[in-house]
Amino acid sequence: MKEPIKEKMISRNTSVRDACLRIFRFVHVEWAFFVLVWLWGAWYYGDVLKVARAQSFWVANPMQMEFVLNKSNGWIWYVGRMVLQLYYYPWLGGLALAILLGGGSALINRVLRIPPYFKWIGYIPALAYLFVVSYSGLDVYFETETGAFFGWPCAVFIFFLFLALLQMAFSKQSLYGLFRSSGKTPVGGSFLQLTVCVIGFVVCISFVEQKRPYVRVISKMILHTMSQDWDGAIKTAHRYAYQSNRPMAAHYAIALMHKNQQCDRMYDIRLDFDSLYIHGWNGKPKVSNRLFESECNFHAGLVQTAYRNCMEMMVTNGPSIRGLELMTKCALMRNEWRLAGKYLCILKDVPFESHFYRKYVKMLSAPKLINEDSEIAHIRLTEPMHDAFESSFAHPVFLGYNVRLREGRSANAAWNSMAACLYSKMMPDFVARVVPFRNASLPENVADGILLASNGQPQLVQMFQHMDLRIQRLDGFLKGVSPYLSNRPGNARKLFDRYKGYYPYYYFFGNLHNTIRQDESFQSAINGGEVRQTVN
Amino acid sequence: MSRKSIIFLIWPCLWALQACRNEASVPLRYTQLDCDAAVYPDYRDIVIPANIAPLNFLVDDPSATEFVVEFHGKGIPLTIGANRNGKMRIDSVAWRKMLQENRGDVIQVSIYANQKDGWKKYNEYGISVAEEEIDNYLSYRLIEPGYEMYRQLGLYQRNLTNWDVNIIYENDREYCEKDVHCINCHNFRNNSTQDMLFHVRGAHNGTIFVRDGVPTKVQIKDSTIITSGVYPSWHPTEDLVAFSTNLTGQAFHIYHNEKVEVVDEASDLLLYDVAKNEVNHIVRSRMQLETFPCWSPDGTTLYYCSCDLKGRMEETAPDSLITSYILSHFDSIYYDLMKVKLDMENRTFSEPQMVVDASAMHKSITVPRVSPDGRYVLYTLGDYGQFHVWHKSSDLWVKDLEKDSCYALSEANSEEADSYHSWSSNGRWIVFSSRRDDGNYTRPYIAYFDKNGTAHKAFLLPQEDPGANVLLLKSYNVPELTKDKVKVNADSLRDCVYKTNGINTKYIQK
Repeated sequence: MKEPIKEKMISRNTSVRDACLRIFRFVHVEWAFFVLVWLWGAWYYGDVLKVARAQSFWVANPMQMEFVLNKSNGWIWYVGRMVLQLYYYPWLGGLALAILLGGGSALINRVLRIPPYFKWIGYIPALAYLFVVSYSGLDVYFETETGAFFGWPCAVFIFFLFLALLQMAFSKQSLYGLFRSSGKTPVGGSFLQLTVCVIGFVVCISFVEQKRPYVRVISKMILHTMSQDWDGAIKTAHRYAYQSNRPMAAHYAIALMHKNQQCDRMYDIRLDFDSLYIHGWNGKPKVSNRLFESECNFHAGLVQTAYRNCMEMMVTNGPSIRGLELMTKCALMRNEWRLAGKYLCILKDVPFESHFYRKYVKMLSAPKLINEDSEIAHIRLTEPMHDAFESSFAHPVFLGYNVRLREGRSANAAWNSMAACLYSKMMPDFVARVVPFRNASLPENVADGILLASNGQPQLVQMFQHMDLRIQRLDGFLKGVSPYLSNRPGNARKLFDRYKGYYPYYYFFGNLHNTIRQDESFQSAINGGEVRQTVN
Repeated sequence: MSRKSIIFLIWPCLWALQACRNEASVPLRYTQLDCDAAVYPDYRDIVIPANIAPLNFLVDDPSATEFVVEFHGKGIPLTIGANRNGKMRIDSVAWRKMLQENRGDVIQVSIYANQKDGWKKYNEYGISVAEEEIDNYLSYRLIEPGYEMYRQLGLYQRNLTNWDVNIIYENDREYCEKDVHCINCHNFRNNSTQDMLFHVRGAHNGTIFVRDGVPTKVQIKDSTIITSGVYPSWHPTEDLVAFSTNLTGQAFHIYHNEKVEVVDEASDLLLYDVAKNEVNHIVRSRMQLETFPCWSPDGTTLYYCSCDLKGRMEETAPDSLITSYILSHFDSIYYDLMKVKLDMENRTFSEPQMVVDASAMHKSITVPRVSPDGRYVLYTLGDYGQFHVWHKSSDLWVKDLEKDSCYALSEANSEEADSYHSWSSNGRWIVFSSRRDDGNYTRPYIAYFDKNGTAHKAFLLPQEDPGANVLLLKSYNVPELTKDKVKVNADSLRDCVYKTNGINTKYIQK
């Protein structure tokens, strides 16, 4: 009885082996690697690299690209920036990445004449490169040479292509033969190659998921803001509510402002602000303000401040597509037609930016279109009514201005101000802003804010309706969290699930961490001497 | 070599020759339009020097497929053509010849556009060629019109007779934290590059003096000096430089026509003896803000701007209060034009005298520059403050010292900021920075200043690619005319900036 079972097992093993052999004979690892890179570059990391494109700038005119070309390796960055433009469509950018890394790996194997069994070595540089990109996190596009991402793969690809062409010239091979496997790769060799590739991708993706999970989320949020997809931004933020960082919170707040939900849903995400792996030009850790400050100022109606933010980023990082787009909008909103025309003229020559150009160039000849634009119309509602100096407000200005707001153009301005006070936990200022709304139906967070602010002032609660149930909930909350109050920063995360979206939880446990101070690596100067920002 | 190979080689050459041939010709049949062509830069009805580079320009007419421009004056007319991009690039040799033939005369310019229904001719305009030439070189700094930050910037010198640009000095093209520095206030003596200076701020700071091509770094510092030397003026004959020393601050508007206010919280005037490396105060006062010194061509008088805070606040007020006052009253801070006489023997100065009382008009004067003949003081007049490059109200004015009258250079001015200016050595040309193109990016404009003291319509510094100024994201800053090319090379300046700490000046109490 045992013999047939043994035979059966042997035959099953043989059939599995045969199937594997057949698969490995059938699968060309080169193509598998190509597809994996494409998927990684288009689907997994596409949003990140699309933001990198928006933070970059490329036009064909070398005069305009002098700021890149006059650096050492300038031509590599120039070419890298050019290819990065394809990331306007992530599938197209991913395809370019797959061609460069997949083709490059095949060329390495070919040129170095790596024996069939060791061909997995040819994939190591590409996989190592993907790991470096994954490791870099936000540094792929934050204060960096954005041309480097594609620049190096292009340079390596061209170098090995040149060597391969030389070899081809001497060996009289066809061009197709360059990328085709030489000789039969043993099944074991294919298995090894595929294993190395799969392990490589698993390592890269696991690293991102474990150590840099915020990179894709922040990039997604930035893209939502750029495409004015406010519902998408809110959905993404809720999906990753556990993650907590300032750029994500800032872009979430922008989306909420546009949906008039800034007081309702701000606390649906964790606001403890984990530290980010992010570095400035000097390679030192830096705060991430530049990923959201200009956008927040712009959407908070502080158009002039947003323009300044963009200009300063242009000074330190060189022009960027997103920066020029924002500056165009700012110039249009300030009736600086010729300035807007200048930026549009520059953007016209950037690949894939014709849609933006066509939309906004119309406004130059028909200014009424500006206020008809839904995004701009919404921002107009919160523009300041009076001038002041930025230095009169705490920074960042979009918060500092709003907590000091005395007079606004619309109810939206009042709600923004109230939301800023709640977020900043400036309860007396919050109370001053909420009292005029005492007869209105208030969002739950505002009502909870009133309860917290009324500590010792019962008459304040009496001014508002339907507060009884909220008082009970607050009492329950205070009892529930009392054991955790001794170490609020440490316990915040534990309590998030239970009290998600509840303002008192944020009030006691949210936004307690200090992030590192911004370094002063860029000096200030003006004609003649060093200057400082004058504080009023 | 086979016949095929010969044809293969010759064909591209013939094609290239064909492409280079100027095929433009004035259309025989056209319809006259009663309108002006949209041209950039605006070179209509201007006065130009006979040694200026070709005035390449753009014609904007989306309905046209090609353009022809004819310049006709004395001599053979010059005809050029362009395709639908409208970029008119003029042949340098023919242009130079035409200007020489038409010196003191007017060249008429006719523009033709080939539209769907045939050739159209726009209204003609004239370009007058002055007898007097402009100094051959223009030095300037290229920097983004940012407010607080700086990164990559440089001093450059353009040959006005052609397209050559020479780098005087550039800071690091690539970011290096320990080397980041700013450069500013390049200045020359008597429109010559024999003696020049500029400042370095940030890393490797100091003032770089270049004399006979040899650079030296100097630290103009003392406990009595507010910061260091800032706005300079070389004495025309002596080894002296007058500097202002300023404590400058910036404040950014959140909702205003202007974007930023640059204010001096304190400022004085210094006299630096280049030969002895000694410095002393010319004027030192707490309640007066003195800045922008400028010597008269004979070296006997020093003009400068001054804001009098006396009477507006207590003399005993703490510095912080002064700063706060200046900022909260930024739009009523006025600078007058003042002068002091120099006693050359004792190196002492007379009591200050008012030259133009701008504050009485609720206006403010900055950057006085005396004409080489000593008759005119050219300055900028704005509604308030001292940093007029950020003030749309800023215009060029002159004071005729002979007739004791002040007037605006209306023909040269624009609605946007017209500010920093420089005379040519013959006093017939002025170059100044103007924001008239887009309100933000300063560009060098050149205007003819005739014998009657009238400035003519200003024109933009011509570029080989006429659209270059639209695409450029940097401002031209501090345009200074010189007769000759800068003699020191960028490498030796770099060595001086990077490798020397600078000689400390000796402060002399007077």
